Amino acid sequence: MSVLHYDKHTNSFLLGVGANLYQLSENRAKLLVKCGEAPETTEKGEPIKEGEKAPRAEGPAYITGVATCEGRVAVISNNKVVETFDRDFQRVASTVAIKRATSVQITDKTVVISDKAGDAYSYSTDLTDRKYLLGHVSVVMDMILTPDLNFLITCDRDEKIRISHFPNCYNIHSYLLGHQEYVLKILLLSPNLLLSVGGDQKLILWDLSTSQPVQTLPSPQEDYITISYSPPYILACNSRHVTVYKLTDTTLTQTSQLVTDHDIIDVASSDSRVALLTREPKLEIYQFSEGVMSGKCEVEGEIDLSQFKDSVLPEKKKVVRTAGFAEYFERKRKRIEEENLKEESKQAHINLQEKSKETHLKG
Amino acid sequence: MTKVKYPQKRNYRQRAHSNPLSDHSFDYPVSPDVMDWTKLYPRFKPENEVKFCDIGCGYGGLLVTLSPMFPETYMVGFEIRVKVSDYVNDRFLALRQDNEVYHNAGVIRTNAMKYLPNFFRKGQLEKMFILYPDPHFKKCKHKWRIVSEGLLAEYAYVLKVGGLVYTVSDVKEVHDWMVEHFTNFPLFERYDPPAEDKAAQVLIGSTEEGKKVLRNKGQSWTAIFKRIEDPYLVNCAGT
Repeated sequence: MSVLHYDKHTNSFLLGVGANLYQLSENRAKLLVKCGEAPETTEKGEPIKEGEKAPRAEGPAYITGVATCEGRVAVISNNKVVETFDRDFQRVASTVAIKRATSVQITDKTVVISDKAGDAYSYSTDLTDRKYLLGHVSVVMDMILTPDLNFLITCDRDEKIRISHFPNCYNIHSYLLGHQEYVLKILLLSPNLLLSVGGDQKLILWDLSTSQPVQTLPSPQEDYITISYSPPYILACNSRHVTVYKLTDTTLTQTSQLVTDHDIIDVASSDSRVALLTREPKLEIYQFSEGVMSGKCEVEGEIDLSQFKDSVLPEKKKVVRTAGFAEYFERKRKRIEEENLKEESKQAHINLQEKSKETHLKG
Repeated sequence: MTKVKYPQKRNYRQRAHSNPLSDHSFDYPVSPDVMDWTKLYPRFKPENEVKFCDIGCGYGGLLVTLSPMFPETYMVGFEIRVKVSDYVNDRFLALRQDNEVYHNAGVIRTNAMKYLPNFFRKGQLEKMFILYPDPHFKKCKHKWRIVSEGLLAEYAYVLKVGGLVYTVSDVKEVHDWMVEHFTNFPLFERYDPPAEDKAAQVLIGSTEEGKKVLRNKGQSWTAIFKRIEDPYLVNCAGT
């Protein structure tokens, strides 16, 4: 779930709290619009399958992701609603996705979502024409449509980062393999560099031309929550730490670290500010300069944080165990042992019989 | 000399269906670069590469047939069920003692739906086999089917351009489903193998499932597909 987003087109932060979308500019918060309202008409895209009903909004409506392009803002909500707004935050289009969306990307020509079933779909700008793009076998945790619109990068709970061509996503370009637990978040730092964090508590910098990791950094403190990028600085958040790294060429070096009083839920950063949402719930804005966060600012304006929805990290695979197979191998071992013993005693019996025959003949 | 003990199926009985979407505890490499194939094939050299993969190899019938037909080719079967893959493992261990062949075939207990890219590099495989896949008739189980639009992208990824996928089923609905999905997928086209294609000839008779179908005088349908270049990229290059 990603509720804080830096909108470079307006140099402001967008924040989703519950169903409300706020804008933060110059430390001043303003309520923009309430999201997640189910559209009246059902979508007219390609039917999921013959005879199946169009998807319906279900569950509580709260914002789970935001994406922006120059003329539009896209919002995904927990109740499966996907909507787009113009820059006056008037709703332009809305639809209901097949499954809960986990990430969204928007350009002036298309809206792309990934969902809990592991699938990704593209929509036309009016959200009517839906096309299936690709499918992972587990939840897609994050997604990037590259700025040149040539690749769609998706990461999942099965430790994989997949780079597919776009819009011909059926053609997989490559995989970035190296994480040993779910891949939580990915960021494109440049056309050739990708950053990822995973449940294995690693931060990995990847060279996209070779699909190999160029640098791996272990987490300073337990699990990663999220990452953010304001060139040339990367902010990596654990629950109580924000570690800032500077990217020089293809190397990350730590520049500073901030410890927070409360667990971090989400972060977004611009050239001069960092917005932090904590579990209290509290919204904190910091000055950001030369890779150092300082000077907490007060947020003016009304934000109703009581609607705040907490998020949890996925369960780790290494914790999941299947029962019974140790038993099977133990039983197998015993069976083989018994068979061998039977063989041996049979053979011993035969030998004894032969020997007694011999002595009988001799005698 | 001790007599070679071949495994008996009655000691390896297991329920036919296994949920491929859940996290069973598997052993799989982080990436193909770190996969140690010598664990499977004692004679595997660094310059060798696995070229054939039997997805859902069951009790190993196809591999036992193909192995002496392609003695220079390394081939592997993926099987998700513990006891069944254990049976195949024991079967090959026994076969290798008895014969000078069968050193080029082995089994891995894993989930083919999730971990193909962990084992194989892009375009590594020459042949893939999907023989008598579990039909998963119920609509709610369709996502367990081994052939789907999403998974075809992964099969196309591990197969080289020009590589072949061989499919067989004794359930017409499943055969039609596979044909529809493969032919509608931009990176595959239906392929009619020439008479010299040895693998095509053994598709039906070599597996336990296939032999059962023959015994019961049932019918099997086969379909073979070739991995082709991406028409979208070819078109873009042309313009």
